[in-house]
Amino acid sequence: MLFPQGATKKTTFKAACETVHDVVIVGGGVAGAIIADELAKAHKSVLILEAGPAEDMTLAGYESYLRRFYGATSKDNQAPYPVNPNAPMPRGPEARKITPGQPATGGYIVQNGPFASDTTYTRVLGGTTMHWEAKVLRMLPEDFHMRSQFGQGVDWPLNYEDLEPYYELAEAEIGVSADVEDQQYLGLKFRKGYEFPMQGLPLSYLDRQVDRGIENTAVTVAGETHSLRVRPFPQGRNGIPNPRYAGGQGFKPVGAVNTAQVEIGERCQGNNNCVPLCPVQAKYHAGKTLAKALKRGGVRLLPQAVAAKVQLRDGRVSHIAVKHYADPASPAFEEGNIRAKVFVLCANAIENARLMLQSDLPSTSGLVGRNLMDHAYLLSWGLMPERCGTMRGTNCTGGIVDLRGGTFRRQQAAFSVDIHNDGWGWATGAPYSDLTLLVDDENEFGCDLRRKLAERVTRQLLLAAMVDVLPSESNRITVDPRYTDALGNLRPVMSYNVPEYTLRGVAYAREFSRLVFQRLGAADHTAYDPEDYGYVTYEGEGYIVRGGNHLAGTHMMGTSPRNSVVNTEQRSWDHDNLYLAGGGSLPTIATANVTLTIAALCYKTASAILRDLS
Amino acid sequence: MKWDKQQAVDVDTNRAGVAMTETMGTSEEKLRYLRTQLHRAMQLEHATIPPYLMALYSLKPGSNLDAQNILRVIVVEEMLHLTLAANLLNAVGGLPDLTVDGFVPRYPAPLPDGETAFTVNLAPFSPDTLETFLKIESPVPPAPDAALRGTRRVLYGALSSGLGSTTDEKRFATIGEFYRDIEATLNQLYEDMGPDRLFTGAVDRQVTSNYYYSGGGELFPVTDIASANRAIQLIVQQGEGYTESVHDAEGEIAHYYRFYQLKVGRYYQRNDPPDGPSGPPLDVDWEAVFPVGKNLSMDDYRHLPEVRHAAAAFNESYGSFLRLLTDAFNGRPQILSEAVPMMFRFRDKFLQLVHYPLPDGRHAAPTFEIGPRRCGP
Repeated sequence: MLFPQGATKKTTFKAACETVHDVVIVGGGVAGAIIADELAKAHKSVLILEAGPAEDMTLAGYESYLRRFYGATSKDNQAPYPVNPNAPMPRGPEARKITPGQPATGGYIVQNGPFASDTTYTRVLGGTTMHWEAKVLRMLPEDFHMRSQFGQGVDWPLNYEDLEPYYELAEAEIGVSADVEDQQYLGLKFRKGYEFPMQGLPLSYLDRQVDRGIENTAVTVAGETHSLRVRPFPQGRNGIPNPRYAGGQGFKPVGAVNTAQVEIGERCQGNNNCVPLCPVQAKYHAGKTLAKALKRGGVRLLPQAVAAKVQLRDGRVSHIAVKHYADPASPAFEEGNIRAKVFVLCANAIENARLMLQSDLPSTSGLVGRNLMDHAYLLSWGLMPERCGTMRGTNCTGGIVDLRGGTFRRQQAAFSVDIHNDGWGWATGAPYSDLTLLVDDENEFGCDLRRKLAERVTRQLLLAAMVDVLPSESNRITVDPRYTDALGNLRPVMSYNVPEYTLRGVAYAREFSRLVFQRLGAADHTAYDPEDYGYVTYEGEGYIVRGGNHLAGTHMMGTSPRNSVVNTEQRSWDHDNLYLAGGGSLPTIATANVTLTIAALCYKTASAILRDLS
Repeated sequence: MKWDKQQAVDVDTNRAGVAMTETMGTSEEKLRYLRTQLHRAMQLEHATIPPYLMALYSLKPGSNLDAQNILRVIVVEEMLHLTLAANLLNAVGGLPDLTVDGFVPRYPAPLPDGETAFTVNLAPFSPDTLETFLKIESPVPPAPDAALRGTRRVLYGALSSGLGSTTDEKRFATIGEFYRDIEATLNQLYEDMGPDRLFTGAVDRQVTSNYYYSGGGELFPVTDIASANRAIQLIVQQGEGYTESVHDAEGEIAHYYRFYQLKVGRYYQRNDPPDGPSGPPLDVDWEAVFPVGKNLSMDDYRHLPEVRHAAAAFNESYGSFLRLLTDAFNGRPQILSEAVPMMFRFRDKFLQLVHYPLPDGRHAAPTFEIGPRRCGP
């Protein structure tokens, strides 16, 4: 896929300020890219404001990400992405334990706690889809009715059937690899004859060993028995195109995006660093959609442009005040107003809320920034009795999803379990930590070192339980004039606690992992250090909870201006020509990684915007 | 499918029987000729891969990004052409074999045609090497560099030591002409024999886009005259470019022009004339290259046991790779997925060798001395 040469320089800040665009989109991530592409198809004039430098899609830009990642000591989610004080982003290693009453201000997000989150999102062109794992689960039908079915959380103003056609569009855009027969469980339905664009990726050897070990295992929760198996996850990465897709038309995968014609249609090679960056662009990222949108004409991209204030006149948005900087290394900027008929904020759940709060816009519900949600991850790690080929793979190919739904959701959170093909990396820093241990503590060298390292690492099994978190108004983003970034924009301030409902799920997930390890004959090496920033206790047991980077809820969708910020089209109840798109609109996150649902909702939003403009 | 000794012998017999098309009377003779030429096409497409890989892997890590990507995409497309040629051969009932002795040429492979001859070397990336690559991909005129026109003669013949004598066969000035001859023979046979007698190969021997896809071209099964002609067009257009413009209808740049960008240090943009790329500049650092020895052979490593073992291991794994491709092209396309880790492995061995300094200051490199198939499948 060719990224149009010079697409990031087609417009200047001055020219952009002098034009009245049909639509202005804040943020060049997956939500912004999809909406821009849909509007471009209808020949609308669209301006995308991107906070980052947007050189990412050039050959040199993408390669510089890779080089930075390969050279980084910490291989965290943001390792490939340069520090930019003008559009800063949270970084996992910044997370610190919070002393009560003293907010942690060391990272970009100011954290009041009590829970210290290491959640991140990526502020570069393509957004968080640059670092995401590309697991693209649909939400279950029951996830849309949490309140009426389980007496917990809230109901969506939409149901699964409403969203289903949009899920199909999103799966086409992302190019999902999955087989329908693997994905029909817990009420997940597909249109008759539906096929995914690409064939499912195979389970890893490790997945298959786990599956063999838990064969005929069932668990009983809340009086309901759930039998277990390892299922492949739908993946947003290039596999084998499905010839049966779209009634036999087949599917043409989108390869690497580049400005020069050196691209090839890369398919997944199992490099195993999907997170934080696929070295061959086999993994979908929003740049693939942006490239399409920019080629259609009508779409302009203005990089290094940070939205600072959404301005109202007579209840409608008149313009967005923007700070445009010339150099990421310098805080110098010029200011201007960007005008349009319709405005769409696609800057992610935290940034959308931050911008709304910084703009001090009136809100009938008062819910902007509230109900912040992010999946709580509980990690358990053990050593398999024999070598299982760990470190081959993509990061994650399969997992145990049987506890994504069930009547137990009346009492405790559901979860989905990932089997990690990259060993204990997330929990312990493996394999680097294993090397250090063997060299420093066990004085190994030469052939013995190689043998022992392989012996140890290829037996590692990490189970990551992604536990549901329900909306809670006290989990929220605010702003505080004391905390600003280099351009003087207000930084997000987060107050967050892991709800008890989730902790019950966490505690059960820990028991569940023990059972799985027992069936596999795996030695449990899990240890939760009370000094860790993510340490929480529940009923006398300690756990470490990690952030999922699945941010949601801060401009929740609902049925009225009193119970929500946006309607089912992601339009602001209070401002007719303003849309807030992305994870912030999700009323609940259940046990599905959020991107697919975000993408689906954006197709719905694009049709609403087109209706506005006609 | 099982390797069939008898069929292998038949293929060899066919080769021996090759004569000028003009003298061929019966359809059977023409069909044998077509199969032989398609074997040659596979050999020709493959023969460019070791020199291109040598140039690619001689680039020092972290340098020459543009050159790395240009070389890489070309190698990938040569693999596509190789596979398309195998599909063509399978379609007309042939039996692809990449393991016959001499399938991989012993470099340097000289081009035996008077003053304009050139040889293809296994050599590091350099201005000279690039000139050779430009000659390999040289289009039928017009080309930006008039001196290069018409220099490539009978390339396939020189590189085809394993496929019998070249002396009494047709000679072609360019790969384009070589393929046009195939195209003519194919279409003649189609008229003479009709589809049922020409396209006798089983459809499940075809390698499809399930197993290969590229931004630069699509792999498709060859099952009839339309797909056969399309395959030939694609190979020729991606290589030297049939057309007079730099970009083809899909906006893709032919190999010749991709290399030419490295020569002049600038990318082409849409609508650029052949001699005037006007896109963004492109940096080539001729110094950031491992000084690998040219056309090294195992003999050069006779006093260096470690290098000898590493080079032998490379040749061994490259040989297994060709065996796997042969099996895949003979009815088991699904095993191509096993080729992926295999390619990673021989890339690692390749890189290991080019990092290794020899006592005379040159660096080691794979020798691509691939022995004949030793035993059955």
